[in-house]
Formats: sequence, C-alpha cells, structure tokens
Amino acid sequence: MSLIASNLSLKPDEQYHLDDICFEMLQGQIYTIIGRTLSGKTTLLKTIAGLIAPDSGGLVLDGNDFGSIPVWKREVAMVYQQFINYPHLTVYENVAFPLKQRGTQKAEIHNRVMNALSQVGLEGFQSRKIQALSGGQQQRVALARSLVKEAKILLLDEPLVNLDYKLREQLREEFKSIFNTKASADSILIYSSTDPVEAMQLGGQILVMDEGRILQQASAKEVYENPNSTKVSQITNDPAMNLFEGMVGEGKIILSPEIQFDSPTHFKGLPEGTYTFGLRAVAITLGEIGFPFAIELSEISGSETFLHLKHNEINLVGLLDSVQSFSIGEKVTVKFDISHLYAFSTDGSLKSSPYGGLM
Amino acid sequence: MNFKHKYLFLLPGLLVLLGILIFPIGFTVRLSFSSWDSFYPGLDFIGLDNYIRLFTDDMRFWEAFGRLSLLSLTTVFLQYVIGFSLALMVWKQIVFQRFFRVLFLIPMMTTPVIMTVVWRTFFHESLGPANDFLSLFGMQPLWLSSEILSKFTVILVEVWQWTPFMFLLLLAGLLSLPKEPYLAASIDGAGPVRTFVYVTFPLMAPISIGAIIIRLIEASKIMDTVYVLTSGGPGTATETSSFYIFIKGLREFQFGYSAALSLTYLVIMIISFTIIAKILTKLMVRGS
Repeated sequence: MSLIASNLSLKPDEQYHLDDICFEMLQGQIYTIIGRTLSGKTTLLKTIAGLIAPDSGGLVLDGNDFGSIPVWKREVAMVYQQFINYPHLTVYENVAFPLKQRGTQKAEIHNRVMNALSQVGLEGFQSRKIQALSGGQQQRVALARSLVKEAKILLLDEPLVNLDYKLREQLREEFKSIFNTKASADSILIYSSTDPVEAMQLGGQILVMDEGRILQQASAKEVYENPNSTKVSQITNDPAMNLFEGMVGEGKIILSPEIQFDSPTHFKGLPEGTYTFGLRAVAITLGEIGFPFAIELSEISGSETFLHLKHNEINLVGLLDSVQSFSIGEKVTVKFDISHLYAFSTDGSLKSSPYGGLM
Repeated sequence: MNFKHKYLFLLPGLLVLLGILIFPIGFTVRLSFSSWDSFYPGLDFIGLDNYIRLFTDDMRFWEAFGRLSLLSLTTVFLQYVIGFSLALMVWKQIVFQRFFRVLFLIPMMTTPVIMTVVWRTFFHESLGPANDFLSLFGMQPLWLSSEILSKFTVILVEVWQWTPFMFLLLLAGLLSLPKEPYLAASIDGAGPVRTFVYVTFPLMAPISIGAIIIRLIEASKIMDTVYVLTSGGPGTATETSSFYIFIKGLREFQFGYSAALSLTYLVIMIISFTIIAKILTKLMVRGS
C-alpha cells in the first residue's frame, strides 16, 4: 500500500499553505512532518484526511484516486493537538464510535475497544466520562479511537503539544512503542511535530516543511546528519543550529580576526570563498584553549546549561553538560568541536557535512 | 465588617420578595380556606370545603386541565421540531443567512393579543380570507366553532407565535456547540445524518430540555390566545385551566374557590414539570 501526493497546492489567500507538495509514503512506515508553526503541517494532514480540498494536485492510495472520496468514507484516523473527543459519551462509547458508524457487530466492537484501551493504558476507565479524565488520558482516548478503526492512514497532528513536559515525555515513549508494534505495521502513520527531539526519537522518515513546501524528505538519521539547507538545520535542531558567516582560504576558516582555525578534514576540496557555517550547540563548550566570547545569558535546563555567547557580530548558543552559574557579560574561552562543523553556501544549501563530506 | 451588618444589606431585597411573592402566596393560601365571593366578602374560615368541592364536584376543572395538557404538550412539541429545523437551516452558512435569522424571529416581535385578533379575522368562518380561499375548492371549515378544529386553530396560532422563541434558544445553543466533535465525527466516518443523530442532538440535549421546559411553563399559562380567539368555546372545547380559574375568579367572583383552584393548579404544575424534566433528561441525555 502506498499513498502518493502529486503537486498538492493550496493558496486560500496571499500565501501558499501548500506549495507543490509531492511525496510517496509506504505501508508500515512512520513519517514525521516537522516544521515551525504555520509551515503547513496541519493543512497537509487535513488535506490527506479530506477536511480541506486542495486547489490543485491529487492523492492516490493504492492506485485509486483518494482525493475525491468524502471525508467520512476515507480510511483515515486522526488525532489532533487539542484533545478532541465526544464530551457527552463515556470513554468506551468514544472509542466505539467509529466502529458503530461502520455497523460493526457488538461483540467485535467490545473486543476491539477493550484491546485499544489496553494498548493506550486505559483499562478500567471505560465507563468514565471524558470530562473526568486528565489531559493526557483524554489524548489517550483520542489515540485509542484512532487505533480501533484500524485505518489505512493514521494521522497525528502534534498530539503531545498541549501536554505538560513530564507527560509529553512519558506519552512520547508510549506512542513510539504503540506505533512500532501494531499500528504502523498495517497502516501509513503520519505524525506532525514542531519538536525536533520528538521527530528524531520516533525515527522513520522525516519530511521537513516550511512555508507550505517540503524542504527535505529523508530518514531521521539522514536529516540529522545532512540537513540539506540552513532552514532545515534550523528546523530540525533544538536549539537551532548556530549559523555564522566566514571565509575558507589557505586551509583555514576565518570568522573574524580573532577567530581563525584550521579547516576540518571533511572540508577538504571545499572551494575558497564565503560560506555560512553551522555548528550545533552541543559542539560548543568552554575550554582552556579557544576563542574569547562574552556570556549574554545562561539558562539551566535540567542537568545542562545553555550559554548564549557573543563575540562582535557572532552570536552562538553553547551547551555544557553540567549545571553552572555565570554572570552576564562574563568573559569565557569557547572551544569549537570543528569535526562537527557544517558549511552551507551563502544561498543556504549544504556544501559540506561532518557525515557526508563534500556535497 | 460586622457579620450582622450583612443582613442589613439583604433587607431591601427581602422586603421586596416579601411584598411581591411571599405575602400574595400566603394570602392566597388563606383565601383558599375561605368562602369569599361577591355575596359574602371576607376571610371566613371554611376548612377544606373548597378543596373537597374541587376534587369531588368539579369535572369542568379537570377537563380543562386535560385540554391544557393536550394543547401545551402538542404546541411545545411542534415548536421544538419546527424551531430546531429552522435553527439547523440557518446554523450553517447559507445564502441570505442573516435575512432568514431575522425573518424567523418576526412573529415573536409582534404583540400576541393583536396578532390573535388578526388570526381570528383570518379564520372568521364567513368573512375570513382562509375560508374565502378554501371556498374556491368547495370547503368551509369551521375553524372556530368546531370542537376539534378550534383546538387545532389555537395550536396553530400558538405555534406561529412562539416557535421563534424556541428557534432563538436552539440557534443560540447550536452556535455555542464545540466544533471539535464535528471534526472527530467526520473523520470517524459519520455522514451528515449520523452526525446529527450522534453528535448534534445529544450535545443539544441539555439546551433542548431547558428550552422545552421554559416553553412548557409559558404554554401552560395559555390565556390570551384562548381569550381572544375562542373565549374557551365552542362550549368549553378550548377552555384551559387558567381560563377556567379566570372565569371563576374574575367573572363569577368566587375568590375563595378560585384561590383553591390556583393553588391546586400550582402544585400539579410543579409536580408535572419535575416529572417531565426527569423524563426528558432520561430520554434525551442518557438515552443519547
């Protein structure tokens, strides 16, 4: 089974919400659409679900035109970022709802509902009203309702975004386990998120979206190792990859008169000239030998410390794997792990990466 | 602030309540145990005589009550069905939506008594335009002087006058419904009819019950339409409880007896509405 989108476009106002979207998705795979808010993720999912009609382009499922099927007849299930359930029904009735619409036998409904509730860890909650559940439990009900349908396409639109941090972490793990066992084997699973960590943890294929367009489609590993543009590098990293202008010349990289260092080996063969360099926060730490920067802000996050650093026009975010306190304006020596340095052309396309060498 | 002073602030409200509610009820209770009429005015205590007369020797009251039940339940049912249909029609984006929303409210904006006079003229059996038109087909229905048809006429006028109120309440309810269950229902495979049956109707149940009860309370007081349209006739064919109490109290001046009638009517109504509300809740909320 495959879902093919060809040239999907939607322009309800001045801006494209979907701009020439093309992809092929296969059964048994998890596809994560990652992008910033208003990048077109939800619009794309709603278009696949049939809630929005595109201006042009088509969707084909298993060789059949999928775009012309009315929403209630499509073989899709969807979980939204809001905890969307039927407030007047019990947990059991909520999960049974899609099966009742299909006229499924009572006994089968019971078995499938109980099975779905057990998958999402809600055994014993079947007779509760939705309002009596916490946000996380409500979202589990929505997930159970989508799983019970055993739809060909399962759409999850930022399902964890409205949950608190702890619950998000917990549910992310549970979702991953559910997807990797049953759901994804029988269906195409499409998950949208703004969170790069979530996208990378789910694995599978990643589609990076911005301004209604797909910027890169590849495996999670490939997108992490070789983001094909500065935009992708920003969208798929948290904190966003540090980008700074510099020159390559005579085997050296020159960022400023004070910040110059030897080119890393994976830059070998890179023509001399001006580039945008990229370095993840994790590759920027403090050391004995390095470059002079001033602390603009330090943020403690769990057991790590993010440092916002400034040197003339260069602004960077570094990461320490310990909790440390700094005062604003404090001078520090910053060490770059240049074996993880990326080079992008000035128009933003990837030229050299630590994992793939020259592009 | 001293705790006792709080009651001082409650005093104006309590005095108003005492004057307009508690005293009249208390007085009516006392009146119902008296023989006060136009010949013997005064609060002479006669015990339960009025109540005994009502329960043993006044079939006309109970017939009027049965008629009232029929008229009010039928009119409110029709108002609910028509009002809900109209509200559903203008709930979604349709052409001239605002125009229709205002149009459907016009009957409610008119003066009930004047409109009933207009309806009486319309259904006048020899001069009215209804029979003028129907005579072209050889028909001359007795809109106001047939025992059965006169009830139909009262129902029709009541439905015309008060369906807009039901429409307004139900439209407000529909507009306040959450959008999310509809997104879920469409994805879950429910078409338009099933979405109405499984989502709209159950979500509207609490609002529907409120609207029905409000209209039932209003409809059970039906007086002006009957008074102007048929004066309770022909005979007592359209006479309702409130109209009968009005006759006993303000035409025959049997104040003591009409007070007993009013109190009995009030108690029956309170019990009836409690039972109706419970039945509706069971049928509409739990059933759905």
